[in-house]
Amino acid sequence: MRILYINNDGSGFADYVNSPEGTTVEQFFNEQMPGRKETDFLIRVNRQPIARDYILQEGDRVTVTPTKIEGALV
Amino acid sequence: MNDIKNLARMANRIREGLMQLKQSRYVELNRQLTNLTSQLQRLTTESRKMGASVSRGWFSAAQRCCKNVNNLLGEVVYSLPRIRPLAEKPQKEIPKLMLLIDELDGLQKEFGDIEFDASRNTISVVTEPITLEDIYLGPFKIQLEINKLDQLYYSSPYLVIALEPNPAATDDGVTHPHVNSEKLCEGDGSAAIRTALEKGRICDFFTIVRSILNTYSPDSPYVSLDNWDGTTCYDCGYTMNSENSYFCQYCENDYCAECSTYCRHCEETVCLGCSGQCTYCEEMLCRNCVSGCEECDEMFCPSCLEDDVCPNCKEEQENENEQPETEIKESENTGQSETETTEVKLAR
Repeated sequence: MRILYINNDGSGFADYVNSPEGTTVEQFFNEQMPGRKETDFLIRVNRQPIARDYILQEGDRVTVTPTKIEGALV
Repeated sequence: MNDIKNLARMANRIREGLMQLKQSRYVELNRQLTNLTSQLQRLTTESRKMGASVSRGWFSAAQRCCKNVNNLLGEVVYSLPRIRPLAEKPQKEIPKLMLLIDELDGLQKEFGDIEFDASRNTISVVTEPITLEDIYLGPFKIQLEINKLDQLYYSSPYLVIALEPNPAATDDGVTHPHVNSEKLCEGDGSAAIRTALEKGRICDFFTIVRSILNTYSPDSPYVSLDNWDGTTCYDCGYTMNSENSYFCQYCENDYCAECSTYCRHCEETVCLGCSGQCTYCEEMLCRNCVSGCEECDEMFCPSCLEDDVCPNCKEEQENENEQPETEIKESENTGQSETETTEVKLAR
């Protein structure tokens, strides 16, 4: 199934990714962000907070935003 | 909470702002291209002049052309990297109104409420009170200025306003380590903020800004949290920022400009308590550079002492040395006249 994945870590890219049927949000996160902790991110599906065992549906929009982003002089 | 009608009004305004942004990119690209074209035309003129100069053997004129060509090439090199990113960008689709309404609905759920000022064309949300490293900074209002969305590539179209300001002691404009004059230093969030705004991901934009506000980066703050309450002068108690603070290496305390000085001999910063004044030239000195006169025990700078004796004592010594010589001369003169008298007496 196709999932719209928006990653606000870094440049903030958005793209469609394919994921197997029955994938939970937690599994999806671990697959897309290996080695990163879920607790460091705000994860929203279709702009709503969801449980980690929520099973993603075709066309879902998953947004991942770090809860900590370092501000600095640029 | 805003109803769907109000959200639609906001969404419509954002859409208009994004249309302006889309147009501004082409306007800017056109402006840059006009500059480049002008530079290239000037290069063509120089090329013609150069050809004429060389064919007539006017080498001084040819050299002047070389100088102009060199300057123009510098301008072209400066222009190209500005043009290319504008030309490279793919055309951005303006998000549909319904998508923007969904964004605003999500934003409302994320932050509790959205404030829309139709006259000023702003959309604002308020964060939870923020505390960083035990310093309470209060809640912040993140205010998106839709009219300024078209300036997204050159400046920040939003303000970060402290609602219960607890600014840095040394600068009232710094209400957060990464906020100065209501402008956020975006750091690592810069690219994500721009991407979110240009794609109309309004909820993402506000959450990214909130994440930056909730993070302290000690490497490059406007004012570090260590100095948030300022540094207090050990002597007079004045609160100063680190740039105006002077450390005395003798007592190891910080002092303000009024309560510190520097040694005129070794140029080390020193507080007034640890410094001394040369009795003769009255220059300030640190403890290491001040010396006592062997004779009077008063303190002097090294340049005023001669053989560990101050100029005053030196003068006195010289006066004392001169006195016995005078006395001897006087006594010698007296002795001679007596002899002469005796000789005169004997002759008689």
